[in-house]
Amino acid sequence: MSRGARVLLLGPYVLLLTVFFTVPLVLMLLISLSRSSFGQIDWALTGSQYVRFFTDAYYLSVLGDTLWLGVLTTVACLLLGYPLAYHLALTRTRWKPLLIVFILSPLLVGIVIRCYGWMILLADRGLINETLTQRGWLAKPLPLMYNKFGVTVALVHVFLPFMVLSLTGVLKRIEPQLLEASQTLGASPRRAFFEITLPLSLPGILAGSLLVFSLAISSFVVPILVGGFKVHVLPMVVYEQVLSVFDWPFGAANAFVLLAISVVLIAVYIKVTERALRGIV
Amino acid sequence: MILRVVVGLVYAFLVLPMVVVVLAAFNAGNYFTFPPQGFSLRWFANFFHRREFMQALWLSTELAFWTALASTVIGTAASVVLVRGRFRGRDLLNAFVTSPLLLPQILTGVALLQFYTLLKMQASYAALLIGHIVVTTPYVIRTVTATLTHFDLALEEAAQSLGAHPVRAFFEVTLGVIKPGVVAGAIFAFAISFDNFTLSLFLTSAKLTPLPIELFAYLKYSFDPTAAAVSAFAIGVALVLVVGISRFMGLEEFTGF
Repeated sequence: MSRGARVLLLGPYVLLLTVFFTVPLVLMLLISLSRSSFGQIDWALTGSQYVRFFTDAYYLSVLGDTLWLGVLTTVACLLLGYPLAYHLALTRTRWKPLLIVFILSPLLVGIVIRCYGWMILLADRGLINETLTQRGWLAKPLPLMYNKFGVTVALVHVFLPFMVLSLTGVLKRIEPQLLEASQTLGASPRRAFFEITLPLSLPGILAGSLLVFSLAISSFVVPILVGGFKVHVLPMVVYEQVLSVFDWPFGAANAFVLLAISVVLIAVYIKVTERALRGIV
Repeated sequence: MILRVVVGLVYAFLVLPMVVVVLAAFNAGNYFTFPPQGFSLRWFANFFHRREFMQALWLSTELAFWTALASTVIGTAASVVLVRGRFRGRDLLNAFVTSPLLLPQILTGVALLQFYTLLKMQASYAALLIGHIVVTTPYVIRTVTATLTHFDLALEEAAQSLGAHPVRAFFEVTLGVIKPGVVAGAIFAFAISFDNFTLSLFLTSAKLTPLPIELFAYLKYSFDPTAAAVSAFAIGVALVLVVGISRFMGLEEFTGF
């Protein structure tokens, strides 16, 4: 393929990406290093926004909560996703395409809709509470929404497909002969799982966990709708600073703290997966 | 056996919110309780009668259409180079072109909002469209690259040795063979754009609201099942698109399973 053809074919997208992705991110970095005065950007090169973030107990606690929710979501996704991926990788059922639709459908249904589904289920007058109180099994509704519990449940639901997709790819590549050999040699299925399948699927576990964690800490639709602004996370601070307070330098600095965490995770993720994961990530 | 029960429960967890939304949309009452209070289409009627929802639906459809078209063309072109080109820095370029996929969209959204505002381009249709193209094209590249890797170059060479111009050989031979991947990528790009919330939130205005943003605004102030009807409609669209993808590419290949 000639150089001219390469430039002609790849050029448009690289240009688009440079102007409308790379340049805006660099601009955001510059804004995060500037000062804000009366809603205007006062261009400078100062780290004062970052100092403000890391010296304020409120923002540090928000950062802590964000990371904690990320950990909870990742662990839950792993515990629920592993059996699912294991089953999907081994099954020969003719219903497999339907199972894949079940896993993919949450990805293709908008995030607002999925949150709304959880709101119908978890609200004080929602399906679960209403059903339980009307039957007299509960005196007053359980606090299922507008707290960390509800947010975690919805986050797990939103990001579970990513975990399953990462795990299934790895589990499918494990040679079945290895398991047969171990059983011929007298290992119980349980021991074969813990000594062969689980260790061999570690790359998938790591890749899936990094992906889910980095997605979970940057989600803000779930905390807003299911958390009802009562669970404070970093992306929400970014959103408020940029769209309500109009303190762009501080908003941009918050965004960059989030970005720094993501970039580190993504770098590790790429290292772990090496060859780009096919399919949807 | 235990595995099956656990797996069944997790699948139930996955589809539960969607099932509940659809049931609530057809339920007659204001609150969705179990058992349902009878069948009604009044929430759908309300959805179709409200101008803001209809305008938002039209905007989302139009936006998703142009986004899918543009990202499929530039994404397919880019994939050809990424799969076949042999040049220095290819791996780096590969990472660069798929980077919008890995970066949290809230960051892309904030960065674009600030960029557009300084350019005085904020809240324009073009600004929204370009943003959508930036985030959907990597998905097209992923799907097209996957099919293109399996393609046997000998076919194209045969066409060329029979006298076809390389461009003609590409359009008549290669494109015919990789069509499933291209179409699946286009459908997926349409779905991603149609459902996009995070990026759109930063690039919209009162006059320019796609359906997910309109739904979000509605949910902030009211909890009535009109929102369920809107959601059920969007779930229907998503299902049609999934069936479309599976017809063209096969879901197992699409997901890499």
